[in-house]
Amino acid sequence: MSSKKHTRRINKEMIIGGAILSLYILWAFGWLMTHGGSYIPESIISHELFSPFSHDYILGTDINGRSLFKVLSVGLIYTVGISLLISISSCVIGIVIGYLSAIRIKFISEIMDMLTNLIFIFPSILLAILVMSFSGQSFSGLVLCLIFTSWPGYARIARGETMRVLNLGYVESARAIGVGEFRLFYKSILPSIIPVISIHFVLGISGVIISEASLGFLGLGASEYSWGAILAMAKLVLLEAPHVVIVTSLLMTGLIISLNLFSDGLRDYLDPKLKN
Amino acid sequence: MKLFLKSLLTLFFAITTIFFALRLTPGDPVERLLGPEAKVEEVQKVRADFGLDKSIPAQYVDFAEGILTFDLGKSYVKKKPVVNLIQEHLSPTLVLALISIILATPIGVIVGVVAAVKKSKLPDTSIRVLTLTLLSFPIFSLAPMLVLVFSIWLGIFPVSQWLSYKHMVIPVVTLVLPLSSVIVRVMRNKYLEEESQLWVLVLNAKGLSSRAVIYRLIKICMPTILNVVAIQLSVVLAGTVITETIFDIPGLGSLLFEAINNRDYPLVQGVIAYSTVIYMLVYVMVDYVNEKLDPRIA
Repeated sequence: MSSKKHTRRINKEMIIGGAILSLYILWAFGWLMTHGGSYIPESIISHELFSPFSHDYILGTDINGRSLFKVLSVGLIYTVGISLLISISSCVIGIVIGYLSAIRIKFISEIMDMLTNLIFIFPSILLAILVMSFSGQSFSGLVLCLIFTSWPGYARIARGETMRVLNLGYVESARAIGVGEFRLFYKSILPSIIPVISIHFVLGISGVIISEASLGFLGLGASEYSWGAILAMAKLVLLEAPHVVIVTSLLMTGLIISLNLFSDGLRDYLDPKLKN
Repeated sequence: MKLFLKSLLTLFFAITTIFFALRLTPGDPVERLLGPEAKVEEVQKVRADFGLDKSIPAQYVDFAEGILTFDLGKSYVKKKPVVNLIQEHLSPTLVLALISIILATPIGVIVGVVAAVKKSKLPDTSIRVLTLTLLSFPIFSLAPMLVLVFSIWLGIFPVSQWLSYKHMVIPVVTLVLPLSSVIVRVMRNKYLEEESQLWVLVLNAKGLSSRAVIYRLIKICMPTILNVVAIQLSVVLAGTVITETIFDIPGLGSLLFEAINNRDYPLVQGVIAYSTVIYMLVYVMVDYVNEKLDPRIA
């Protein structure tokens, strides 16, 4: 019996997730192109809390009389930017540390073991609350504290994958004929880590979005346009203007659903064995 | 034993980190307490009272001595022993977390099995869509939506606070929905994985009823579920921080949040040390139960 060949097919999850995701990306890019990065929505106090589709405000207005659509657009760019920045940095840090601890540099693996235990045992949001409230609410503080809580996830996966790859025949033979460590990492290990890491990466982005928004919701974020901060504001006017909560929640959930769907689909795509 | 030592080391590491993190980051508890217009002598007196005039290493020694004698100090702001404050605020958090886990686990297991048995059919697809949607709702957006529907529009449950069992419904639902969704997904996948094993084929061939086979499959999946629940415990407890703040529940989460905002060092250290111990205990317990359930792991 010949081994059954797994065919890689773009699946439904990837298509739906990717479609929703591209809507958000289009929205963010379109907004960035037309308004630039430093746009501040104007606030007209007399226009406070209009409902959607009234007085030319497609999504209504918020508590400060700003167009909710504009506020959410600025927030979207902020959210996407910050989560990409954090996910990419944590991913790089995680891969390097995971690799170093897999090739048994004792000192590093001990420290990493301790740090990952520590960070895993604490709910990351608690750590983030702690760091944020002490470092003061600054952009760099937020980025640092979210990187601090998200790299161990990547490190754990990178470590496991590196160990797996290191045991494969061709890597051992490459070592035996004297291929350098760096070249080995770059040519053999990195390419085989990337698929698994990329699944975690997409999922990680949605995790970062949620953590960032949680902090924003608790009043510890770095921007008043963070969707979490908008939700905290919306909570105050739940009775008078439920549309702010509904619109913001649904948009946020849509973004996270698309990322979750996409990573689900990606996992099936990259590893069809998992599906059955 | 090794596990115990390792836990102790992590615990030590955790509270030490918190201790220094509190002191090395900006924000002064005495200034927060007395306000910006306080006199210098007054500030110095309070500092001496709190022991904050000593050097940081000396403070650490005091703190470590306190920990060893189970004395976590006195809250700066509330002027009460930290141990008492934790006791007062413990029950809402524990009740919230425990009820959520007790409800979510069976729901998750049953729904997960249904999805696995009806794989790729309508129930499975709708369960997958539903759980994915629920998982994508962050707590702080799920909670206001539930409040909007059940308290404001339908008027069934009260909006916030912690006075009767009716007040618990929305907070518990807020925690149970995402938690059970995680369990459903893990259960479904694990079940399908185990179902393809040889021993299931043998059982079927021996003519065992499908109900008995399902029962055995659930049993074999339990260690995995238990692990997930343990890992989710920290998520649930973190979730209670947000849930408690949203619903105005006087639990450990809101106590900690308030303490952090007030720079109430002893209270922050106490609550964190306390929760770390709880996490540790849970992990050790889960390891123990896992060994009992599945001898292969040991």
